[in-house]
Amino acid sequence: MNKLIILCIAITIWSCSKNTDFDEVYQPIPVTVEVPANFPEMTYNLDNNPVTEDGIALGKKLFFDGRLSANNSIPCAFCHEQAFAFTHHGHTVSHGVDGNVGKRNAQPIQNMAFQREFMWDGASSHLDLQPIIPITSDLEMDETLSNVIQKLQADNEYKQLFRRAFEDGNINSENMLKALSQFMIVMISSNSKYDKYVRQEDNVTLTTIEEDGLNTFTAKCTSCHATDLFTDESYRNNGLPVNPQLNDLGRFDILENPDDLYKFKVPSLRNIEVTYPYMHDGRFSTLEAVLNFYNQGMVDNGNVDPSLLRTDGSYGISLTAYEKTSIIAFLKTLTDYEFLNDERFAEYE
Amino acid sequence: MKFIKLTFAIMLSLTILSCSSDDDSNTEDLTGQTGNLVLKFDNGVGDQDFIFGTTYNKSNGESYSLTTLKYLISNVRFTDENGNEFMLPHDENVFIIDEATANNAGEIWLTLNNVDAANYTSVTFGIGIDQERYALGAEGQGDFLTEAADAGMMWSWATGFRFTRFDGTYSSTTITDEALNIHMGSVGTSLDNYREVTLSLPNNVRVRQTTTPEVHIKADIAKVFDNDTSINFADGYSQVHTNTETTTVIANNMSTIFTVHHVHNE
Repeated sequence: MNKLIILCIAITIWSCSKNTDFDEVYQPIPVTVEVPANFPEMTYNLDNNPVTEDGIALGKKLFFDGRLSANNSIPCAFCHEQAFAFTHHGHTVSHGVDGNVGKRNAQPIQNMAFQREFMWDGASSHLDLQPIIPITSDLEMDETLSNVIQKLQADNEYKQLFRRAFEDGNINSENMLKALSQFMIVMISSNSKYDKYVRQEDNVTLTTIEEDGLNTFTAKCTSCHATDLFTDESYRNNGLPVNPQLNDLGRFDILENPDDLYKFKVPSLRNIEVTYPYMHDGRFSTLEAVLNFYNQGMVDNGNVDPSLLRTDGSYGISLTAYEKTSIIAFLKTLTDYEFLNDERFAEYE
Repeated sequence: MKFIKLTFAIMLSLTILSCSSDDDSNTEDLTGQTGNLVLKFDNGVGDQDFIFGTTYNKSNGESYSLTTLKYLISNVRFTDENGNEFMLPHDENVFIIDEATANNAGEIWLTLNNVDAANYTSVTFGIGIDQERYALGAEGQGDFLTEAADAGMMWSWATGFRFTRFDGTYSSTTITDEALNIHMGSVGTSLDNYREVTLSLPNNVRVRQTTTPEVHIKADIAKVFDNDTSINFADGYSQVHTNTETTTVIANNMSTIFTVHHVHNE
């Protein structure tokens, strides 16, 4: 019996000493995620993935790590640059590993915790699972989850970071995706001039032209660009001439439903000034081009959103020159410089 | 040494206590006892065993031959003779049934541990991933996302699971060896193709600490295609992915392919 006790003690000591390789322990520092007063409710369920400082730090490292791609050189941040609200600066569509070119314009990463579905066609309905698409797409990062996990498991720094971020400390797809979500959850853009105006902070006022733009916007655009997220998260066909080279069928790809032909998710307009080029394929490089299109460029491709039908039978949103100029002045009040320069999201602080 | 004595005393009293809590002297007390149980999945086609590369005929004159045969099983639970339900732990309750991993008898074994000891009368499981589990995102998935991705049981263009993966070719009088890919699944929250089946057990499955009963489940793959709704591959069913109509028919047909052939209690 004494031998048994000694054995027990020996095992206990041994198992303690085994841990000395890693002095990191799980001591979570919770991060409170504030919902801005003018925002709708958060859709992400934080109970399943409580946000912590170490979780965010791990997510950030993963976001900037090229090893998530097949050739170890295309991180998430490659197509999602902070200065452009995490879009791919100037690119109509983005390129991935081995010079492969995708077919859609990289969308901004901001306020993700408030969205129900992700991607232009809604291909993901959970933020945690969204990164699987770019990681595994052969046109983007072209990697497999198991390879990524193997690479991370071989890295001593990641061993420590996962240990600090998660109680079980496991380097697996669950924890990797949760960490990426935590980083994206705190990427909230809510401090533009417009936000401060609407929340009546710091005595911020809009200029006359900005206010005129807001009024026209409210009258003519908010049936789709609704709420202070500036999207109702619906999928709509806005009458873009179909590019035969891409022949992008939009949401049709998801459910193969003919009603979904050429429909894309209504994008948020936050930081729209810096997220050019515009539309799902980046065909318009300026906001002027976008508004000119809505005024007189729409075509009947067979499934255009009925809300865009004018009384004369044509499709479009009629806008005068001043309405266009003032809408653009208003849209520029949605640029959130605090977000674009926030060191918490920067590769090098 | 004192510590050991104390431990024995506590254990002894616990044992006595747990025995004494049994006030029905006619029944065996199974409180706290757990055991193992094996579910054997055995894929067949009608009265034949399923074999990769073998050509099977359908009722409409079409024939098919498969190179991949996989499906997802989840939320496995058992109901005992008193109506009590035992559910496996949520996070360990998703399985890929892959014919390629079958033993020489063509059986895929799922060994379930820590099943509450009881006399079970039925088994229930889901085909695919239910909406509740999907809505958890990465939570509770552990390595399963990786495992499913490696097994080709996830879409590449969207973040959902393939509930079935039947890949191969089909032929008819006019068509020879055209591609056949039945990848049925749910699509986010827009399309729910998760189905559950409950199979009554021909005799009670007695799970005890000392016995590992086996439940032999037959899956008739013919019924995926020839069922209440029989399908023609040539009419849009050779490529089943996310279309609401075709995936729903496959999901409904899938929910009827399973029967319990027999039970071994040892």
